Amino acid sequence: MELLRVIDGEGRPLREAPCTDEDARALLERMIFLRAFDERAVALQRQGRIGTYAPYRGMEACQAGAASALSPEDWLLPTYRDHGAAMIHGLPVEEALAYWAGRVESYRAPAEVNVFPPAVPIATQIPHAAGIGWGLRRAGSAAAVLCFFGDGATSEGDFHEGINFAGVFRAPVVFFCQNNGYAISVPFSRQTAAASIAVRAAGYGIAGERVDGNDALAVLDAVRRALQRAREGGGPTLIEALTYRVGPHTTSDDPSRYRDPEEAQRLALGDPLERLRRYLAGRGAWDEADEARAQEAARARVAAAVRAVEAMAPPDPADIFAHVYGAEPLFFQEQRRRFLAELESAARPGAGGPAARGPAPGGAAGGPAVRTEGGGR
Amino acid sequence: MTRPKRSDKKGETRLDRTTALDLYTRMVRIRQFEEKAARLYEQGLLPGFLHSSVGQEAVAVGVCGALRKDDYITSTHRGHGHIIAKGAGLDRMFAELYGRETGFNRGLGGSMHIMDFELGVLGANGIVGAGIPIAAGAGLSIQLRGTDQVAVAFFGDGAINTGAFHEGINLAAIWDLPCVFVCENNLYAESTPQEYVLRIPALTERARGYGIPGELVDGNDLVAVYDAARRAVERARAGKGPTLLECRTYRWYGHYIGDPAVYRPQEEVEYWKARDPIPRFEAWMKEHVGFDDADREAVWQAVAAEVEAAVKFAEESPLTPVEAALDCVYS
Repeated sequence: MELLRVIDGEGRPLREAPCTDEDARALLERMIFLRAFDERAVALQRQGRIGTYAPYRGMEACQAGAASALSPEDWLLPTYRDHGAAMIHGLPVEEALAYWAGRVESYRAPAEVNVFPPAVPIATQIPHAAGIGWGLRRAGSAAAVLCFFGDGATSEGDFHEGINFAGVFRAPVVFFCQNNGYAISVPFSRQTAAASIAVRAAGYGIAGERVDGNDALAVLDAVRRALQRAREGGGPTLIEALTYRVGPHTTSDDPSRYRDPEEAQRLALGDPLERLRRYLAGRGAWDEADEARAQEAARARVAAAVRAVEAMAPPDPADIFAHVYGAEPLFFQEQRRRFLAELESAARPGAGGPAARGPAPGGAAGGPAVRTEGGGR
Repeated sequence: MTRPKRSDKKGETRLDRTTALDLYTRMVRIRQFEEKAARLYEQGLLPGFLHSSVGQEAVAVGVCGALRKDDYITSTHRGHGHIIAKGAGLDRMFAELYGRETGFNRGLGGSMHIMDFELGVLGANGIVGAGIPIAAGAGLSIQLRGTDQVAVAFFGDGAINTGAFHEGINLAAIWDLPCVFVCENNLYAESTPQEYVLRIPALTERARGYGIPGELVDGNDLVAVYDAARRAVERARAGKGPTLLECRTYRWYGHYIGDPAVYRPQEEVEYWKARDPIPRFEAWMKEHVGFDDADREAVWQAVAAEVEAAVKFAEESPLTPVEAALDCVYS
């Protein structure tokens, strides 16, 4: 299957661009912002200021290119690595950062921003997207759905069932696979025996396309056309964007244990920011002053978000019990009571040692002995 | 390719008379077993549900005819035919349907869950699509043990849009497992016609999405099924990985015995009955290996006697006690 490219690895144009220089400049500015956010988030995690973080470095053309094709009324379904796209579609920056800081009050899209919460289980958002698209179509809406997922998700039953359903019922959904080469540590060569993910479109009777995922203009072009097809009743499209996860799976992962550090160079996909930069510079539409301005604006925007998140009141530990049950079973209430009692006893002066954190036999230090009910763990 | 493959008149198949008669007899055994079971069920003599495979005999026999005894199959809720084609005795089949101690699974499995490891039957299965990953697992076991067996999954067209289909076939393809995936496409998933749930003309469109060969076969043409199955089985045995076969066929009865099947036109049923796989194979045998009315009579009478004796065996066997219902649930 042909690989769509608008600019080559050096940023030289291969075909007519799908947008004006002005739009391409805006796209580059977005990617510069996303890179700044990602770098800062990794640093914050290393400093212990946020929790585990999933970096999207190297995938900014997919994040910004695909999300820039959306209209405000369209819906975006991100995974845990697509907060870049979510921010481009309107999720406030501090909401995205607060998510990685482990805040229960995060990823709250304002009413006019159509972004779903990130899917952490692999591929569960695909049948959701089919359902949302089908609902929009039945309601006579002009909106479409953009559903992100990775190469690992394509081996899940949810991928198969969701895409088949969307195809049969002509749901206006763009299924956007960021094939970044690895499902955590599993290389794409072990993911499927097929030549590509995009060839599977034929098995569902829908359109399929393969794009250079480090070419922001190609991604923008493919997603824009697919959204148009969806809106016109032409049904879903499966887009496979070839990209590379430059960083680890998360900040808790060490990719040198399963992949060759030279591999990224061999793929010759190039850095997506650098490719678009060279393209625009070649057209006299980007210079050092533009770059400095964009970098400064990005840093300021990220810094403001960091300040906002760090100014939030300390999180309530009991938040981990929020939103789990509508009607809480007894064993669950007991778990919370026990958890809070242990926190309290650990915080008591002179009782902060490890012994006080364990279950308290006989209730000497931590209140009455607790027996978990109803098979609770 | 959306035209089902039919057997070549010139015959790439070298079916000798003995093999042909064996395959023919297996189809007749299935037909008579299913018809007898339907009558018994209608009289209220068999508990549970009954899904008849009358009309689909050529798929079961064509595929199992290409297998060895030590090869594995997984089957479906409509599984009697596959198990008989793999060599099951009708006596223990009937006993299972009757809920008797002498059944393949002491009557605990019933019509939808017959299994017999000695015959390589890893289980019929009441869950749609569930046999597919089980066959992939059997394929992995074959590969790890280094034997040259093959694992076949039978499933219906309703299974092809389940996640289990996707996950099982993708794994088998990545690992080059010795599997053959056989879709018995009888055009209806219970009452849902295929065009409601599928946008492609043939399942073979999906094979490429897994990087494996796919073939569309006339499932009422025994020789065509047998040929396609032999190619797929040889490929699997040689370590070249799985194949996806789609066999177009039709169930004469409804989804279950008692289903009025108001969702399909009577002309469609008549169309398919006119394409009964058994007389079609009789015609093939007449032309290629010799077959006459006396041969036919001999087979049908022998099978009728076998059925009669099998029903007697089942009815005279002791009922499985109620207390056994909880056996074999947990190890």
